[in-house]
Amino acid sequence: MVEALVFFIAASLLLYILLGGSDFGAGILELIPAKDRREKQKHTINRAMGPVWEANHIWLILIVVILFMGFPPVFTKLMVALHIPMIALLVGIVVRGTVFTFRHYDAIQEPVSQRAYTWLFGLSSLWSSYWLGVIAASLTRGTIPVRAEAFQEAYLDPWLGWYPASVGLFVSGIFCFLASVFLIGESRDDERLQEHFRHRAAAFNVAIIFLGALVFFASLGEQRSLATEFIGHPLALAAMIVATVLFVALWVSMSREKVMLTRIVASGQVVLILFGWWIIYRPNAIITTEGALTFYDAAAPEATLRQLLIALVVGSLLIFPSLIFLLRVFKFTGSSEESE
Amino acid sequence: MDDLMAARATMAFSLGFHIIFAAIGMTMPFFMSVSHWLHLKKGDPVYLELTKMWMRGVAILFAVGAVSGTVLSFELGLLWPQFMEHAGPIIGMPFSWEGTAFFIEAVAIGLFLYGWGRMKPWVHWGTGLVVGISGFASGIFVVAANSWMNSPTGFDWEDGQASNIDPVAAMFNDAWLHQSIHMQVAALQAVGFAVAGVHAFLYLRGRNAKLNLTALKIAMAFGAVAALVQPLVGHFAGERVAHLQPAKLAAMEGHFKTTTYAPLTIGGIPDEESETMSWGLEIPGALSILAHRDPSAEVIGLDQFPKDDWPNVMVVHLAFQVMVAIGMLMAGLGLLYFWFLKKKTLPRWFLWALVAATPLGMIAIEAGWIVTEVGRQPWIIYEVFRTEEAVTPMPGMVYHFVLFLVLYLGLAAVTTWLFWRQIQNTQQKLESHG
Repeated sequence: MVEALVFFIAASLLLYILLGGSDFGAGILELIPAKDRREKQKHTINRAMGPVWEANHIWLILIVVILFMGFPPVFTKLMVALHIPMIALLVGIVVRGTVFTFRHYDAIQEPVSQRAYTWLFGLSSLWSSYWLGVIAASLTRGTIPVRAEAFQEAYLDPWLGWYPASVGLFVSGIFCFLASVFLIGESRDDERLQEHFRHRAAAFNVAIIFLGALVFFASLGEQRSLATEFIGHPLALAAMIVATVLFVALWVSMSREKVMLTRIVASGQVVLILFGWWIIYRPNAIITTEGALTFYDAAAPEATLRQLLIALVVGSLLIFPSLIFLLRVFKFTGSSEESE
Repeated sequence: MDDLMAARATMAFSLGFHIIFAAIGMTMPFFMSVSHWLHLKKGDPVYLELTKMWMRGVAILFAVGAVSGTVLSFELGLLWPQFMEHAGPIIGMPFSWEGTAFFIEAVAIGLFLYGWGRMKPWVHWGTGLVVGISGFASGIFVVAANSWMNSPTGFDWEDGQASNIDPVAAMFNDAWLHQSIHMQVAALQAVGFAVAGVHAFLYLRGRNAKLNLTALKIAMAFGAVAALVQPLVGHFAGERVAHLQPAKLAAMEGHFKTTTYAPLTIGGIPDEESETMSWGLEIPGALSILAHRDPSAEVIGLDQFPKDDWPNVMVVHLAFQVMVAIGMLMAGLGLLYFWFLKKKTLPRWFLWALVAATPLGMIAIEAGWIVTEVGRQPWIIYEVFRTEEAVTPMPGMVYHFVLFLVLYLGLAAVTTWLFWRQIQNTQQKLESHG
C-alpha cells in the first residue's frame, strides 16, 4: 500500500515537473524574449498555456494532499522547517497564476499594463521555480531538525546554503529547457519564432549541464553530498550518463525538426535525472538531522491509506481521460484563434 | 499580536478571502450554463454576449480562487502542523476527493474558456456545466472536512493520540450534512444576489436593457430560490448545533444561564464579565422552541462550561445576528421578486434595493464562517484538541500575516479594477454596435 502511494507521489511529481515545469519555464522565457518577436511569443505562450495551466498545477496540490493524509509527519516537518521557502513559493504561485490570467482577460489591452503583467509573470515564474528547487534540495540534506530551539537552527539552516541555491538555479534551468522544447512544437505557424525556441532549447541544454556541475560542486560542502552519492550508486550513475548522452539525440532530433521526438527525448532526460535522485534516496521521504524518515515510518494507519488509494485510483480514472480530451482539443492546430 | 493570534488572523483572512472566490467559482458556471443553453436553444445573440461576459468574469475569479485555494492547502501545515499531524489521516479523505473534483474542474474550465469553435456546441456547453458540478462538489468536500472539526468522529482519542481511525465515518460526521447544505445554498444565494445587483445597476444606468435584464433574471432565479430555502436550512443547522455544540449555540444566542423556557434575544450586547445581555429584544420561550421544538425544553447555557472553554461571545453573537438579519432581508427580497415577476413588472425602487443588496450575501457568508470558526474556539478539534496546541512553533507569525494581508488586498484591488474595465469595455462595445 505504501509503495502504491509512493508511486502516486512520484508520478505526480514527475508530471508536475514536466507539465507545470514547462509552464514555469514559459514564464521565465518571457523575461528574455526574441527581440522582434516579443508579441508573437507572448501570443504563442498564451495560446499554449492558457487552457492547461490550471490543470498543470494541480499535481502539486495532489502531492500535498497525499503527504498530509498518508504521511503526516513528513508534511508537518516540511511545513515547519521549510516555512520560509514555502511562503516564498506560495507568493510566487499566487502572483504568476493571477497575473497570467489577468494579462489575457484584461478587457483593455494597452502596452503599459500588458508590459507590467508580462514582467511580473516572468519574474514570479523564475522566483517560484527557484524556491521549488530550494525546497527539493532541502528534503534530503539532513538539515531538517527533529528538535530545535534556536531560530537559525530550526528555520534557516534547513534550506540556507550554496547547495539548495544551486538546485534552485538548476531547476529553473530545467524548466526553461522544457518550455523551449515544448514551445518549438507550439510555434509551427512562425518559422522564425520556432527557430528562436530551438536556439533557446539548445542554450538551456548547455546551461543545464553547467548548472548540474554546479549542483554537484556545491553539494561537496554538504554533510551528505549528492555528487558522491550519485557516483557511488551504479544505477544513479548510469541514469546520469544516459541523460547526458541523450543530449546528442536531442540535438539531432531538433536539427531534423522532429517535434514529438524532441519532446520525448527532453522529457526522458528529466525523467532520468529524477530517477537517479529517487534511486539514491528511496525509501526515504526526508532526511532529518537525526537520520532518514522513510515513507514506511511516516505512513498513516492502514484504513487511511486504503481510502487514499481508492480516491487516487478512482480519481485517476476520471482525471486521465479528461486530461487526454483536453490535450486532444488543444493540440496544435496552427490557427491563431483565441477564446475571443 | 502574539503568534497564535497572528496565525489565527492569517487563517481567518486567507479563508475569508478564498471563500468569496470559491463561492463565485462554484455557482456562476451554472448561471453561465443557463445563458449558454438559452443561446443554443433560441439562437439569440444576447445570450451569447451574456455568456461570454460572465465567462470572462469567471476566468478571472477562478484563477484567484484556484491560487488562494492552493495557498490554503499549504497553510494548513504552515500554521497548524500539530493539527494536521493528528487530523490528516482522519480527515484527509474529503480533501483527496476535493483534489479530484478540483482537477476535473480545472480541466473543464480550460476546455470551456478556450474551446469556442473547437468542439461541437453541445459538448462545449457540457464542459461549462462540468465546471459548475465539479466546483460544487469540491465545495461540499471541503465543508465536510471542516464539519469534522465541529463534530469529530471516526477515531478514538487516548493520551493525545488518535487510534482506530475510520476515514469514512470521519467524513460523514454528524455535522457534514447541515454544514454543506447551508454553505452551498448560501453560495447560490450570495452570488445570485451579487450578480443580479450588478446587472440591476447597469440596467438602471440605462445600459443595454435586454442583456442586463436577462442577466438579472437568470441570477435571481438562483438567488431568490436559495434565499427562500435558506431560513429553513439555517433552522435545521441551528437545531443540529444545539445538539452537537451547545457552547457554540449559547454563544450565538448570548445565552449565559441554562434555563427552560429559554428566551430568544434579538440584537443585544453580551457581557462576558457579568454574564448578561443588554439592549436585546427578548422573545420568551422562543429559543427553546427553535432549538428543541418545545417551549419548556432546557437550553444549555454557557454556565455549563468552564470559562476557559468559552468562545468569544461578543464576536460570535454579533456575527450570528448579522447573518440572520441579512438572511431574513434577502428572503424578503426574494419573495418580493417573485411577486413582481408574477405581476410582470420590476419597479425601479426594487431594482435599486437589489443594487443595495449586492454585497449582502457575501457579508452573510463571512459572518456565518465567523460563527462557525470563532464559535468552535478554543478548540481546533471540538473538545479534543485546542487551537493553541496546534499552532506552529515558528515565531514572528505576524510577518506571515502582514505579507498575505498585503498580497491579498493587492489582488482584491487589481481584481476590482479589472472588473471595472471589463464592464466599461463591454458597455462601449454594445453601444457602438447600437
